[in-house]
Amino acid sequence: MLASTATLAAVPTLIDKDAPDFVLKGLDGRNLRLSEFRGQVVLVNFWARWAGDSRKEMPALDRINKTYARAGLVVLGVSVDDDERRAGEFADSMRLSYPILFDTGETVGRDYAVQKMPMTILVDRAGVVRYQNVGFKRGDEDAYLDHIRELLRE
Amino acid sequence: MNSKNRWVSVTWCAGLLACAWAAASLAASAEAPAPAVAPVATTTPAPPAAAAPDTAPAGGADAPATSDVKTLDQEVQGAKKDVIDLNKDLFVLEEELLFPANTQVAVFVSMDVGTFFALDSVTIKIDNKEVANYLYTAREADALLKGGVHRIYLGNQKVGKHELVAFFTGKGPVERDYRRGATLVFDKGVGAKYLELKITDKVPKHQPEFSVKDWE
Repeated sequence: MLASTATLAAVPTLIDKDAPDFVLKGLDGRNLRLSEFRGQVVLVNFWARWAGDSRKEMPALDRINKTYARAGLVVLGVSVDDDERRAGEFADSMRLSYPILFDTGETVGRDYAVQKMPMTILVDRAGVVRYQNVGFKRGDEDAYLDHIRELLRE
Repeated sequence: MNSKNRWVSVTWCAGLLACAWAAASLAASAEAPAPAVAPVATTTPAPPAAAAPDTAPAGGADAPATSDVKTLDQEVQGAKKDVIDLNKDLFVLEEELLFPANTQVAVFVSMDVGTFFALDSVTIKIDNKEVANYLYTAREADALLKGGVHRIYLGNQKVGKHELVAFFTGKGPVERDYRRGATLVFDKGVGAKYLELKITDKVPKHQPEFSVKDWE
């Protein structure tokens, strides 16, 4: 069974709850809705330009996306920056292979109780949150991979 | 409606919902024992196996078990169907209670052809107050182009005149960013009010056209 590894005990967990649906505008101008990926495993990464850990985590997520996209994994990066233009420029400079969405209204961040950046969640094929990680440190990507593989096998 | 009346109405609605739940539970419990008799009935034919004493006992023991499983499966399917039906009824009841016909206003979005406009979002203001803001994904826009109709707003408005303003954003001809508005002053009567926001192509001008239709 997948276990929660939230690094902050005080952070409210969404594990085993339905992932709150959202629709957000992407860097490429397209609108993406989470529920449209039902049937696939989705990794949602909340990030901010000013959070140093986000900068470390994004290249790791990019590698994961490139490897597992064909297996049915969808990676979505959700920026909670107030300044959409600068967040967009930052994401462009990172040359990421996965879509970047902008939560400028911070409604999605509120639904997911994002309190610390970055925050990463894994949503299973049925739309249920199965894993949540707050912050990022070296080695966390290995835990992501373990959980992703397990969810893809389900 | 003053606050006291509204409170009475809400209390009445809650009571009605509770009654509906209770009735549904009673119906479910009343129906539940009936199919349970079936397995007993299916096991009784086993004794005729006496006509073939050597082979029947083994087969006779398996047959009731199989039929039990089938009956149980049918019961489960029946229960699932009941739950779905009950959910549907409750949804309809809830909508009728939350949005009674005398105050109900529903706004729908439809799209025809869409050669000159790729829909991105629609914002609706009623009496200068934003009541809906919807971002359309590519799949949702495709569904509209295939004849789908999206209910973008369902709410309560007082009887009388109201002004609805709808803002459409998207990509216009030659991939240009496009933002247009459409306005309608409508008269909310005692019955439910249905309004349709229509996006059509104006072929002679090679431009999209936005209109609001009042379904009388």
